[in-house]
Amino acid sequence: MPTIHVNDTDIHYLHMRGRASEGPAPTLVCIHGLGTDSLASFYLTLAAPLAAAGVDMVFYDLRGHGNSTRPARGYRVADFVADLDGLLTALGVTSPVHLVGNSFGGTVAFGFAAKHPGRTASLVAIESEPPTEAWAKRVGELLTETKQELSRDETYQLISAQFGDHHARLSRQAYRRLEETTMAEEIPSGPMLDLVDLSRITIPVLSIVGSDGFQADDPYLLEGVLPNCRTVVIQDQDHSVLVEAHRQVRDLLLDWIFLRPLAAARRDLA
Amino acid sequence: MTAHESQVGSVLTEINDMINMIIEKYGSPPVQVTMDTLFHSDLELESIDLVTLGVMLAAHYGDEVSMAEFLAEKDLGEVIALRVGELVDYVVSRLDLTAPVD
Repeated sequence: MPTIHVNDTDIHYLHMRGRASEGPAPTLVCIHGLGTDSLASFYLTLAAPLAAAGVDMVFYDLRGHGNSTRPARGYRVADFVADLDGLLTALGVTSPVHLVGNSFGGTVAFGFAAKHPGRTASLVAIESEPPTEAWAKRVGELLTETKQELSRDETYQLISAQFGDHHARLSRQAYRRLEETTMAEEIPSGPMLDLVDLSRITIPVLSIVGSDGFQADDPYLLEGVLPNCRTVVIQDQDHSVLVEAHRQVRDLLLDWIFLRPLAAARRDLA
Repeated sequence: MTAHESQVGSVLTEINDMINMIIEKYGSPPVQVTMDTLFHSDLELESIDLVTLGVMLAAHYGDEVSMAEFLAEKDLGEVIALRVGELVDYVVSRLDLTAPVD
């Protein structure tokens, strides 16, 4: 398993080259979400079709997740942004990259784009928001609530009955991550972006949300605070859009990276 | 035993060895898998372990054997219900394609 040591953490990554195409290949960096997530959710859904289309891809496990190491502390958004910076530098990726982030992964992507505007070509946020004070408040409450819920045995019995033993096992792992680290306390604590910071994120942003997802109340919120953002709402999907609607996400990403009209979006919205 | 059955047996043994390398890091004792063993329910492997197995398969058989390609069209439920035999059959099919013609 390839790992790179950055910021006192061994980051597990996969650098996959797209099949040869004319001209320099675009690079897509995939950033997964919190808890039970890992690079697998992107790798197993997008790697093959995007590589076939000629896209270079970097997949990696966030600190504390997957096969990356799990330091006891160091979980502010800025720490995750510094890891991505260190990883791309170590891999010799110097051209601006397209970032795609799922849930918290998108939040990290916004943090990276704000700090390194010249290194980001575009950003695709799946069920995701930038790291603002409002976001931190909601995520902080969610993490505290999740930690309390997962400390009770009955929770796992309910998860097992409703979703199966597999999900119950993943939830136990997620609880260990929250118990053994300062993740729940640090993630909502760091310096956040304000409206002025957001107005300076001028790269093209595509926000993909599920009609029943975390942004169901105001799916077009990001278009109001980012200067160059458009939104695609995927109908009948919740927060798990990436996994449950991976074919639509794949089609949207391919159209987005190669600057084609978002055909999949028009179909979905019809 | 036909040549195909022999190849299936050989790939199953090689994949069994790779699985044992993965579960060793969890402190689990070695297992003897069959074509019907389930990755998630029986072996308690997670998606990230399938990625690791994919890297090992590509290192052993070459890039023609791609876990990403094998799983790209499957839905989450199908990945969770994946049998070792499905992966063995996929690997054998890729090896058949790349085998030199006599």
